Amino acid sequence: MDASRAARPDLRYAVAIDTGGTFTDVTLLDRETGASWTAKTLTTPDNPSQGFMTGIEQITAQAGFPAAALGQVFHGTTVATNLILEGKGAPAGLLTTAGFRHVLEIGRQDIPRRANLFAWIKPTRPVPADRIFEIPERMAADGSALVSLDENAVREAVRTLRQRGIEAFAVCYLHSFANPAHEQRTRELILEEYPQALVSLSSDVLPLVREYERSMATVLNVYVMPAVSRCVERLEQRLAEADIQAPLLIMKSNGGVTSAPEVRKAPAHTALSGPAAGVVGAGFIGAAAGFQDVIGIDIGGTSADISMIKGGNFTLSESGQIGEWPLALPMIDINTVGTGGGSIAAVTANGALTVGPRSAGARPGPACYGLGGEQATVTDAHLTLGRLPPSLLGGAMTLDIDAARKAVETHVAKPLGLSIEAAAEGILSISNNDMVGAIRVVSIERGEDPRQFALIPFGGAGPLHGSDMARLLGMKTVIIPPSPGVLSALGLLVSTLRADYAQTCVETPAYDYTRIAGVFAALEQQAADWFTRENAPPDARRQSRQASLRYRNQGFELTVPWAGDTVDAAATEATVERFHDLHEQLYTFAQRDTVVEIVNLRVAAACELARPKLIEWESGGSLVEAEVGRHDVWFDDAWRKVPVYERAKLAAGVEIVGPAVFMQLDATSIILPNERAVTDRYGNLIVSTG
Amino acid sequence: MNIMLKPDVKADSICDPVTLEIIRGALRSSQKEMEALIERTAMSGFIREKKDFFVALFDPAGDLVIGAYRPTFGDPVRPVFEHYPVETMRPGDLYWYNDCYGSKGSVSHSPDQVFLAPIYVDGELLAFAQSWAHFADIGGMRPGSISPDCTDIFQEGVIIPPVRLARDGVINEDFLRIFIRNSRFPEMLRGDTRACIAAVRLGEKRVIELAERFSAPVMRDAFKQLGDRSEQAARKRLKETFPPGTYRFADALDHDGQGNGPYWMRMELRVEGDKVTLDFGDSDDQAPGPINYLVNPAVPRAMMSMYLLGQDPTLLLNWGAGRAIDEIVLREGSLLQPKWPAPLGQRGLTMMRLLSSCMGLVNAAGGESTAANCAYVIYFARGVDSNGNSFLMSDGLGVGYGARPYADGIDSVYYVAQENFPAEMLELAYPVRIRAYGVHKDSGGPGRYRGGAGVVREVEVLAEEATFSIRIDGVKMPAWGVKGGRNGGSGRAVVNAGTERERLLEPFSDGNILKRGDVLRLETGGGGGWGHPFDREPERVLADMLNGYVSAEAAAADYGVALTGDGRGVDTTATERQRADRQPVTGLFHRGTYRDVLE
Repeated sequence: MDASRAARPDLRYAVAIDTGGTFTDVTLLDRETGASWTAKTLTTPDNPSQGFMTGIEQITAQAGFPAAALGQVFHGTTVATNLILEGKGAPAGLLTTAGFRHVLEIGRQDIPRRANLFAWIKPTRPVPADRIFEIPERMAADGSALVSLDENAVREAVRTLRQRGIEAFAVCYLHSFANPAHEQRTRELILEEYPQALVSLSSDVLPLVREYERSMATVLNVYVMPAVSRCVERLEQRLAEADIQAPLLIMKSNGGVTSAPEVRKAPAHTALSGPAAGVVGAGFIGAAAGFQDVIGIDIGGTSADISMIKGGNFTLSESGQIGEWPLALPMIDINTVGTGGGSIAAVTANGALTVGPRSAGARPGPACYGLGGEQATVTDAHLTLGRLPPSLLGGAMTLDIDAARKAVETHVAKPLGLSIEAAAEGILSISNNDMVGAIRVVSIERGEDPRQFALIPFGGAGPLHGSDMARLLGMKTVIIPPSPGVLSALGLLVSTLRADYAQTCVETPAYDYTRIAGVFAALEQQAADWFTRENAPPDARRQSRQASLRYRNQGFELTVPWAGDTVDAAATEATVERFHDLHEQLYTFAQRDTVVEIVNLRVAAACELARPKLIEWESGGSLVEAEVGRHDVWFDDAWRKVPVYERAKLAAGVEIVGPAVFMQLDATSIILPNERAVTDRYGNLIVSTG
Repeated sequence: MNIMLKPDVKADSICDPVTLEIIRGALRSSQKEMEALIERTAMSGFIREKKDFFVALFDPAGDLVIGAYRPTFGDPVRPVFEHYPVETMRPGDLYWYNDCYGSKGSVSHSPDQVFLAPIYVDGELLAFAQSWAHFADIGGMRPGSISPDCTDIFQEGVIIPPVRLARDGVINEDFLRIFIRNSRFPEMLRGDTRACIAAVRLGEKRVIELAERFSAPVMRDAFKQLGDRSEQAARKRLKETFPPGTYRFADALDHDGQGNGPYWMRMELRVEGDKVTLDFGDSDDQAPGPINYLVNPAVPRAMMSMYLLGQDPTLLLNWGAGRAIDEIVLREGSLLQPKWPAPLGQRGLTMMRLLSSCMGLVNAAGGESTAANCAYVIYFARGVDSNGNSFLMSDGLGVGYGARPYADGIDSVYYVAQENFPAEMLELAYPVRIRAYGVHKDSGGPGRYRGGAGVVREVEVLAEEATFSIRIDGVKMPAWGVKGGRNGGSGRAVVNAGTERERLLEPFSDGNILKRGDVLRLETGGGGGWGHPFDREPERVLADMLNGYVSAEAAAADYGVALTGDGRGVDTTATERQRADRQPVTGLFHRGTYRDVLE
């Protein structure tokens, strides 16, 4: 595989394969004409390369050219995510500083704030203490070696772990972010003892202060490494077999892609690969429709992923969590809430109506799927109210309205003494409200007013909820993408090569500018090396500096762009001023009378790949042609005959006054009474909530 | 189908069931936002790492609508009414106090500051927003304000009676200047005050937004319904747990920090007809040392409610839940209702013990509940660093929680939402080196379900000299086990362990001077066990042993588990033989021996 072609802009055909939990979405793009093709295949969880290749075969057949003509292959993966969520990673070992064997077990010694302290059960760790070995060695906080590395102890530990069948080794020593020498020597020793071993050093994975979070990131990296490596290798192999010379570019949690060898080294960076692609897609759609500030919400079967894009850029978080474990690697700031189409509505013994987090999933699925589900789900509520047509996927799937009504009646209407319609509306209200709460987290809690943003609902169920949520939040515009169900695949096609580097460098006034400049230079060198490995065209390489700051004695840092290219008093002062401003924006107050401490320095590296040309929809045509029927839908306490339109038949510039239902293969969309929607030239439905 | 009203849905309720859930969810997220603001911006270790703070919303009468899921505070709005009648309040007001006796225990030690703002919609009072946080140093006898050495409340920092800190949105900076001037760490105090005030203002804003969406009358009705729902659920569970009769439980604190003790807390629950009374009157007299706990009746109510509400996340721990207990009896001059001006600084120990005692009461009544938790451990180090700056390091250590009828006790946790100081952060901020931080082996009470294990932390002093204040309880009176489970292990504080210069410190003491190079080893206690240890699956015992929670010796002695030669497997035959001879369970509880009462 020739990764060096990653950034070649002259590659005409690009394919994106977004492997989700149930389906693998495939989109093929002709960059020259803007023409695109999409296909959906079943995900093959045991061997994702199978669904991956089936998708490529299908799509190239559909487009009518040989797979070998592909210039780029983009991929969004859930392999790492699922391994972490399901606790099914490789049995790994951890070498830690003497005295800290229980670093993972103790964690941050807290019970989550929402938990009942009588009932909470501490989640098990990815590596039990039995496989954590203490190594005599010690660095001080300033990086000076206090106790030299006990090399025999390392060898002993490796031998013992190897005997127990462990192939994956994480190493995290105290203060290794200040001096990685002991960790680096440990890697040499591990490989001498066991040349085939997989090794992750904390000073490579996350050279930042806080031993628990750093240990966890390192452990999770090596935990997913064997499976991700195997998967990536198999994909490369299958591509080669199909005579596809195109480089394989994989989406990372930070919203950028990187080549397969990079992913094999640091697979934990793909923990949010799938959702990140969706965010990139939402940003692209927003920009194309003329909106730089958007909030994307991807509603699937069991959960909704929400993110904010401001000025065309998403924000990264350094305090993310995957399932029950923290993962402090840079990830798009995505808030996930346990509400989706399959979320189950129920009334508690004490009379409260709840929706989720229990989900009927894909099996048995909502009652209306007729696959044995009996509980009332959000999808059943939509069907009950006529918001979902009785057949989906272009007629490939028929929904059972009676089953949906019965489920809503039995599990919600009767216990609460409501009509079936009121109960179904209640289910939707509560699910909308949960999602609105999650949207507030990524907007209001970040100091942003959602009313200044447009909402992009996507995923199979997103466009059913978009207008309701926008109204609740006072958002004026909803943008429904042309293919809401496969937006993640589009996100992959428009993605950027991206890598983020960070290093702890604690500095208080008077700041040591030489030291800061030195750390930045080292991070930039790492970024430059990566550019070289990716063979990124020099003129498309971009690097930017950031610093994570806090008021002295605070426990959390805020990251701001470094002000300017130099490191001197003026630039530092301007950076500190940015921190004050951000603190004020986020938390309503700044403390300009208080000492500001630099904690971490960061360098973000990015290289734009060729952007696709979007195909423009034809204008003209009448609304009547697009109407495929009328359907009874419950709005405002009454059944109304509502027109149903076929999305593909809507021409650009057509205006529709709600209520209306829009059907297409990958999603159903709703606009509410008195809302106005216009199809823009790229086929987006731009809905004004009024 | 027509709308049918359920018989128990009152005709006058104007907030429908769906709106009620939406308001509940919205109140929760407002609360979360307020918490996040404090957590991210506060400066003192107590708040930002140990999360010793919370936020709440109250109705216009001062009754709790939504608060933290932990029973720490009392009835914080009404003390303000005594000085500022509600009709004199205006939008933009902000009230503040930390006066324990003046608030009848709504605040129970002086470092806890309460900030409170009335929230008006259309000129009418709709709610109060409150934030509450433990500030690092508010003056007093020792840095950190609380010390086992204090003999009256004046030594525990400056006392602020309820005052109006802001009028019409304008803060009276004069008050704050006085307050901040009284602190050894003014910068932290200023930062924490700003964080708390900002959180209250945020709560105010969010409630107003909600009222705009749902209207004030619907909000009021929602507040009422949320209270009623919790009350009904709590009463129902209470009836199931405690049939008519009288139930007693007593447990003791080791000491008061000044050489006195033990101190017994005795509780009696009387269920007579529909009336439920919780009586603490028989508890020991107040202590000279600062373990006195000025109990506001809302606190034991919340403690019992936490158990009674179980795991239903739709039930709020609010004033309604507390109403399930009709009367709380406390005796003035006792440990749980001390007289002015007794010192209160270390009441956290008493609170944790009381919380476990509520579970003891449930067990004594024949209910299913947990074994005892150990009380979390706090220590302070004070001194001067190499730059000549004085430092105050306050660090909290996790302990083991009680085993449950269905699961092991939680290992190595402090309390709800309170995080530790990463060793690397401590070393960056203070002249110390953390030599070890791990699980305290064999500290979890043996049982069918094992009590949670405590921790070990070794702190080497790098400053010329540092004075340590240490607070460890449950050394003489470790966490009790129940239903065959045995008591948890004890904590201790030892300097230079395993060397010739080894010395044991009083577990609850101040003024311990350590020199450069001395290493303080703190070991914290574990939770009590549940069920007979011989009933624990041998594989779990093996896993505990391999993971460093249980020693091979304890696996054999306490659990009757014999290991294979390599120590990595269970010798089933030998285990069965060892387990054939099991100690009979001769009492409901266990501390040292099986017994029905601990006293």
